[in-house]
Order: sequence, then C-alpha cells, then structure tokens
Amino acid sequence: GTHIRSCSDEAFLHHSALQKRVSCIARKHGLDVNNDVLNLVSHATQERLRDLVEKLATIAEHRIEIYKM
Amino acid sequence: SVQTSMGVQDTKVLDKRRLQELVKEVDPMEQLDDDVEEVLMHIADDFIENVVSAACKIAKHRKSNTLEVKDVQMHLERNWNIYVPGYGSDELRP
Repeated sequence: GTHIRSCSDEAFLHHSALQKRVSCIARKHGLDVNNDVLNLVSHATQERLRDLVEKLATIAEHRIEIYKM
Repeated sequence: SVQTSMGVQDTKVLDKRRLQELVKEVDPMEQLDDDVEEVLMHIADDFIENVVSAACKIAKHRKSNTLEVKDVQMHLERNWNIYVPGYGSDELRP
C-alpha cells in the first residue's frame, strides 16, 4: 500500500543535543531561541541529507553502468 | 554520546540509525560505506552551524532578542532552496 509520511514523525536530530548546539551559537550573538526553531532545523537537515543521498545514489548507479561496459 | 567532555561538538545530534533509515527511504537497496556515513555526519554538523549562524544574523538585523522560525526560514529558502511545510511561511513569499 501507499506509505504516507508526515512531519510529525520522530524528530531526525536528537532534541537535547540540537538544543545545546543551537543555543550555543545563538548565545554568541546574544540571542534566545524560540523552541520551534529546533524542529525546523531538524527537518531542514533531513532535507539537506536526503537531497545529497539521492544524488549519491544516482552517481553510484552510474559508476556501475560504466563498469559494465 | 560522549559524556566525558563538556564540548558542544562532542554531543551527537544525529545517530547512524537515523541516517541509515533516511538512506533506506531514498533507496531500499542502497548501502553506505562507513566513511561516507562519517562525511554525511560532518555535513549535517556544518549545515546546522551555517544555518543557525546566518539566521542569528538575520534576527540581529531586525533588532530582535530572539531567534525565530522566520529567520531560519529566510536563510533556508534563499540560500539552500529548502522549504519546510507547516511553519506558516506565507509572509516571506513575494
């Protein structure tokens, strides 16, 4: 059947580790962090890696094609 | 994660299990070498650093004391062409 994924899936990044990382950067700029920022950064990182992995999969496939000839 | 050091960089934000799940979503037949996994973990770290730092500059520019979703969205959309749905970003659209 069709598998539907929604954004309420398990967070991609570890919440507490990400919170530490983000607030450390924000503190250098003298800023507090809105909590929703963490979720957004987690989803965006997932998208960034998904895009890379898709490209890597295509490149790897291509490499095998060349090898066959 | 590493407990012995207080360094922020030592705390893993991404574990390999989640990364492997992502790869299986893209292509169930795909296998990642260990060193490729390492590189992807690094890329994730760099990405977070880049996005959050740039978003902080945007927040400062609008003279805010708080880093908000819209600051992160603006950087993601303009510099990375990444649109995450569900955050009500209509006000950023031309």
